[in-house]
Order: sequence, then structure tokens, then C-alpha cells
Amino acid sequence: MKIRITVNGTDHQLDLDGETPLLWVLRDELGLKGTKFGCGKGLCGACSVHLNGEVVRSCSLPVRYADGATITTIEGLRTNGKLHAVQQAWVDEQVPQCGYCQPGFIMSATNLLAKTPKPTDEDIDHSITNLCRCGTYERVRKAIHRAAGVSAPP
Amino acid sequence: MDRRAFIRTSALAAGGFILAYEFLPAARGATEGVSPIALNAWIKITPDNWTTIVISQAEMGQGIETTMSAIIADELGADWSRVRRENSLVAPAFQNPLLHWQFTGNAESIRSFNSYIRTLAAAAREMLTGAAAQKWGVNASTLRVADSYVYDSAGNRQASFGELASAAALIAPPPNPVLKPRSEWKLVGRVSQHRVDVPAKVDGTAVFGIDVVQPDMVHAAVVFPKALGAKIEKMDASLAKSMAGVIDIVPLGDAVVAVAEKYWQAVQAVAAVKVIWTEPPAGAFDTAKIDSLYAEAFAHKPFESVVKEGDPAAGLATRRPDEILEVEYRSPWLAHAPLEPMNCTAWVDGDRCTLWAPTQGQEMCQLVVALTLGIPKTNVTVNRTYLGGGFGRRLIADYAVLAALTSRAVKRPVKLIWSREGDMRHSSYRPAFIQRARFALREDGLPSGLEIRLVAPTILKPVSPGPFRNPGIDPLCVETLDEIAYGIDNMRVDFHLLDVPIPTMVLRTTGAGPNLFFLESLIDELAHHAGIDPYHYRRRLLQRKAGNERLLAVLDLVVTKSGYSPTAKNGRCFGLACGRGFGSYFAQVVELSVTSDLTIDLHRVVSAVDCGQVLDPGIASASIASGVVWGLSQALSSELTFSDGGVTESNYDGFRILTLPETPSTETHFIDSNAALGGIGEVGPLGIPGALSNAIFAATGKRLRVLPLKRHAGVQTRGVLNLS
Repeated sequence: MKIRITVNGTDHQLDLDGETPLLWVLRDELGLKGTKFGCGKGLCGACSVHLNGEVVRSCSLPVRYADGATITTIEGLRTNGKLHAVQQAWVDEQVPQCGYCQPGFIMSATNLLAKTPKPTDEDIDHSITNLCRCGTYERVRKAIHRAAGVSAPP
Repeated sequence: MDRRAFIRTSALAAGGFILAYEFLPAARGATEGVSPIALNAWIKITPDNWTTIVISQAEMGQGIETTMSAIIADELGADWSRVRRENSLVAPAFQNPLLHWQFTGNAESIRSFNSYIRTLAAAAREMLTGAAAQKWGVNASTLRVADSYVYDSAGNRQASFGELASAAALIAPPPNPVLKPRSEWKLVGRVSQHRVDVPAKVDGTAVFGIDVVQPDMVHAAVVFPKALGAKIEKMDASLAKSMAGVIDIVPLGDAVVAVAEKYWQAVQAVAAVKVIWTEPPAGAFDTAKIDSLYAEAFAHKPFESVVKEGDPAAGLATRRPDEILEVEYRSPWLAHAPLEPMNCTAWVDGDRCTLWAPTQGQEMCQLVVALTLGIPKTNVTVNRTYLGGGFGRRLIADYAVLAALTSRAVKRPVKLIWSREGDMRHSSYRPAFIQRARFALREDGLPSGLEIRLVAPTILKPVSPGPFRNPGIDPLCVETLDEIAYGIDNMRVDFHLLDVPIPTMVLRTTGAGPNLFFLESLIDELAHHAGIDPYHYRRRLLQRKAGNERLLAVLDLVVTKSGYSPTAKNGRCFGLACGRGFGSYFAQVVELSVTSDLTIDLHRVVSAVDCGQVLDPGIASASIASGVVWGLSQALSSELTFSDGGVTESNYDGFRILTLPETPSTETHFIDSNAALGGIGEVGPLGIPGALSNAIFAATGKRLRVLPLKRHAGVQTRGVLNLS
């Protein structure tokens, strides 16, 4: 089917199987490899992207549901070449280990901060449901608090 | 080709200048007689004064790319801001200099490579100063090196590494270069470097195996039988072959691979193949059947003696029969479950093969793929990418073999990605470890005798094909039980190497993890029965044996820093564990509170570690913190079970790992004893299961001896996410 999506500010018109998960459209059709495949069932969150301002797990979202949507991926977070405050906090706190799950965490964290600019620990507990096998959770929490301190108003 | 000719050729081929040379590490030459000569090409310098450092070790989150290049740049005197890194291919120069095999694992990298790469870098530095000395007609010993420049003593002349490199490459490499004293280290030792791989890991540009793109590449998906060891009996691929984008369906024994223009097309096609799998050779076993193999071994099988000190039977016989206690501990079956599923990109072109793989076993991949394809090892090029987690799983080469065979079948470059279900159900696993102990205490509370028996399948054989010194003892299975630090007069440790119909292998913490869970819980039990608090009981036993100074020091430090108390303080309870593993000493305290329904809140984990020298405090602390979470996952949540001859769990909903809300705060304190370097990457989890179980005992009086605690002991954690 024909699909129109806007990804990181660029419009794309695609003709493909509408059941294809958004993840594989991003990775294989658009070449945006920053969004990762981890579990294929929406359990781990490595594939998290923003769709019309909400975090979705793109591995489990058929692209036909994204027709007409505005999507942001990890590659789209920079503005004017500058890292997003959350990405900068991730660098400052040296959050990643293997790094594979981190784009998903960062997409979840940016969405949390857009909605709750000064999240409590409890807010973080409820919102950051991604999995990290290396165990970077403690620094993820610190980096979100750091970004909340320096985030420009949304 | 003589060495100089090699250097010139290399310089031409690389478009820069390679400082490559032969040397004998002093220690190896002295102790082993005639040693193999390593020809090294780790350091390249270009005329624009950039230094490229070749990294032999796989970056999987442990920060090795940063620390390894910092060691080399520091010794060389290179400007850290003008250092580039590239990943090595497979070559003798990049083998572990102590084990002569190219791999990343066992918290081995820094321990094994540090003096080797320092010596390489020091020799390169002396070649550069030698070139400057020739140019200026002065004695090289008067020259100074800093920030990729050589300076003369008066400060009148300077030359960059880039200007000097071509002349330096023609200077004979010094066999015994002088290493900088530790006081002159600038990039390692005191500072926490920002990791060089972090920027690409926060903006999505880091290239993992799954991100590899090659010209003309096609995509492959794979399905495996649920039963381990089953093979294709019949296959009907007619529907799959007719589907959009499908190039071919490739049967590969215990796997069916679909190849398509797009990965999602391959996923759908492979699901449409109708396969009848053979009955597995071991039958449709389940968890009860596997458990019965362990029980049968304890009841009827012979055990090998690992340790025997004094006369344990006589020691036990000094006590009444009702004073002799018997306990059993169990650590579960585990999958590595790295977030990046197994994958590999392969291009088999005639009798040559190129791989792009997220691998811990670069040489293993080359060897196994060469054997599989029937081509010379040197015809297989293995490019290493970033690894989305390894934990031991990526030491073996099964994913590379499947990709290579698929590429050969379709005659195109193929990227083959396993599903999570395939990753979890078609793997090699850390087997269950079961330890049984019989003990009794004297009037003074010390053990009168201790008998330990361990049953476990091999974990080392699949990653290290060399024969064991004693064929009945896998040295990694008995790790830490073969060198118990506690002074116990009458003690024995016996081991049975169990045969199981399941592929097994190492996983982060190897045998030390399960054995320390057992040992450190057991010591707590002894302390309880003796009526002595666990900290002072440990001290007393450790002081009975020589050589425990470093272990006592980390034990004392962790108690001080954590505020450890054997009884509850402000509603908080503490559990302690300590030990030696991977060349390092550690002690850890878990602080928690427990409600009456066994719901626990994990508050804090404090670790004290003596790894000899800390090369990067930030990276080392992060690694220990990461290990704490790994240990908590093992202790609380993770377990594989079996049904129908295969693994029951297939994804993170069944195979649970720790989540963010459950994670406690951590702090790590290092003791810099200036001793030989120990490992870090495997150390963080070691004390956690024991310390956790001991803390729960302190809180509840319940001694939990079977992991994971959530599944077997009814333990809950507050704030756990509901994934299902």
C-alpha cells in the first residue's frame, strides 16, 4: 500500500506491505539504523521512537497505522547540529555501556521530559520501561534528572 | 620478506607509516625459553600527525576501546585529541599475549594486554626519539616527548610524530624499551576518560553488527526447532518461495533460512515454511528430567577430588550425628540474552569469505567458518563491529556459520538476523550448578569439617577446545571452590562433570558466580550457627590462612563504607559477601528492607574492589555498577526451564531481567594496592546473589538457597514492571 510519513522533518512516500513494522521501514527503507531491534514484541523498548508526540515501540507497530504520522527517531533529536539536552546529559553522565538499548532509552526520556519537565524518581520509574542488559539504569536516572535541570522549556 | 622490507611494504600499503616490529616480551622470553615472535602493527602515524591505534579487543560496553588506546597513547606520548582507533582483523599480533588466542572475555583484556601494549608503545616512542636524535645529531636520551611531538633539551627544536614517522620506521625496534613510571602516566591511573564510543552511542551512529550494510546485500531470517538437536525431516517451502521479495529458502540442518530483498519479507517467508523436525536425539526432555540427572549424579556417580585438606570425615566424626548439617544450593539455567540478537553479515565469493560480525571470538569465527566452508583460514576476513552486549555468548561462532552458509547458497552478501525467540531458544547456556555441603561446628564455632560436592556440566570446553589437565574437572566449573580463602582445617571439594543433552558454555561470572553464591551463603550459615556475626566470623576464618591481607582489606572497607550491621538498623537489613575472582578481590554489601510478604525494597549496594591498579576510575566504577545489576538479575529474576526437549522461555517476558525501578543505588570504592592488574568486567556480580540472600536472612530468618529468588522463594520486588 502507499504510505506517507514524515520522519525527522522529511516527507517520505512509500509503497510497501502495510503490515511491515515501522521499525523495519525506518531501518531498511529509510536507512535510519539508530532505532534498534531487540525483542520484536514491544518488551524491551530498543525500538522506541516518537510518533505524533507519543513514544511507540516501532517493532510492533504495522506501518499502515503510521500513515500520515510525524515521526522522530534518535537521528532527529539534534537541532542545528547540537545534541538534544537529553543526549548531552547522556554524554555527561557517561550512561551507555554496550549502547545498543540507549537510543530507545533516550527517546523514552525525551518524551518524559517533554510532558513532565521536572520528573520525580517515581515519574521515572513509571515512564522508563525499557530494558538494559548491561544495567545502566542508575545512570539513566541520573541523566534524566540532569537533563531536567538544564532542559530548555519545551 | 625481511623485517625492513615488511615495514616499507606496510608503509606503502597503508598510505602512512606503520611502526611494526618484532619483540620478545621480557617475562615470556625469560620463563618459557624460545617464544613465538610477534610482528605487531598496532600504531600508525600519518604525516598530518594523527596517531591511529589498532584495537584488538571487542568493545561491548566495557570501555576497552578507550582504556586500551589510552594506555598506548600515554606510553607513546601521543596527543589524546589526535588519536584515532580502528578495529583489528585476525592476526597473530592481536592474540592475547598470554593465551595466544584472539578473543575478548573473562575480564582478561587489560590484565593480559597491559604490559604488552605498553612495551609496544614505549618501543615506538624510542624509535621516534631515535629519528629525532639522528635528525638533530644529538643523543636520544636528552629528548622529551609530549603531545605527539619530540622536543630537544634546550627547547629550541621540535618535530611532530608525523614528521618523524618515516625515519622512525627504519630504526631497529629496541628489544627492551624503558616504560614510563606510573607517576608519569597522564591518561590512565588518575583520570576518568570520557569513553570514545559514547558520542556515537547517543546519536544513533554507532555501527553494531545488525547495522552493517554492504553493496548488493540481501537479508535473511532463520527459524530453529524448539527441540535442541532436532533437524529438518521434511520441508515445504513452496508458499514461502512465492512470497514478495523472496530470493531463496535455504535448509541448513537444524535451521531453515529465508533470504529476501528486505528483512521483514524474510521474516514472513520463514514463518510460511512448513517444516517437520526430527525427534531430538535426547527425546522430549523437560526440567524435571534435567533435574533428575543432577540428583542421579549426587546419588550414584563418581566425583573427582578438587581440594582435600586435613581429614574432613574425621573432623565431622568428632561431632554428634545430629550436629552434622547438610544443605543444598542451586543456581539456575541462564541465557546471555544480549539486547542485540545474534547476527552476522557474510559474503562468500568463491573460495574467499568476508564476515562483518559483532563477535567476542574473532579468531574462533575465522577458524570455524574456514573449516565449515573448507577453505584456508587466511581466506576468511573477519571485520569486527560494536557488540550490543556479549556476556560470553559471542565467543562462539554459530551465527557466523549460518550467515556464511546462507551467503554461499545464494551467492550474495547476506545479513542474517536471528529473532529474539531464536536467540533465546537456540543458544548455548550457562548450566545450573548444584552444590551440597556437609558441615559441623566445634565448640568455638569454627568448622570441625566441611565436605562440598559440586555437580555441573562443562562451561569451558565450547570456547577453549584444549584438553583439561584432569579430564574430569572443568577448571572454570570449580572456580573459587578450588582456592577457598577461609582457613578451614578439614575440608574437601569434589566435583562431578555432568553430561546433559543441552549445549552449555560460559556466561558472565563463569563458575565463580554460582560457586560464590553457595560459598558466601554457606559462610553466613556457619556464622549463624556459631552465634557470631557474619563479618567477624569471616575475619576470623580469613585470618587463619596466610595471604588474605587484600581480601581482609576490602572486607573491612566495605563494612566501614556501607555501615554494615548484622542486625536491622532503621528498618534496613544488610547482607555481606566477599571473595577473589578474575585476579581481583571484592567485598559487597546489599542493603534492603523486607515486608512480611517477602516484598523487598533494594536500597543500596556498596562494593569494595582491589583490582591491583585502577586504570580508569569512571569506567571501572561503571563496570562494577553494571555487574551489580547483572548479579541482581541472576539472583532475583532470571531462569530458563525446559519442555518438549527445548527451552520454554522465548523472550524477555518469560526470561526476566532487572528493570529500572528495581535497581538500587550503587557505590564502589577501590583499593589501589599497586599489585598485578586484576579483572573488572566479571567482578561486579560476584558477591551479589550471596549478599542478597544473606540480607534476606538477616531480615526474615529465612535461608534461601535456590535461585532465582522470585521464582523459587516467593520473593517480590517493589516497583517491578509488568512486561507481559
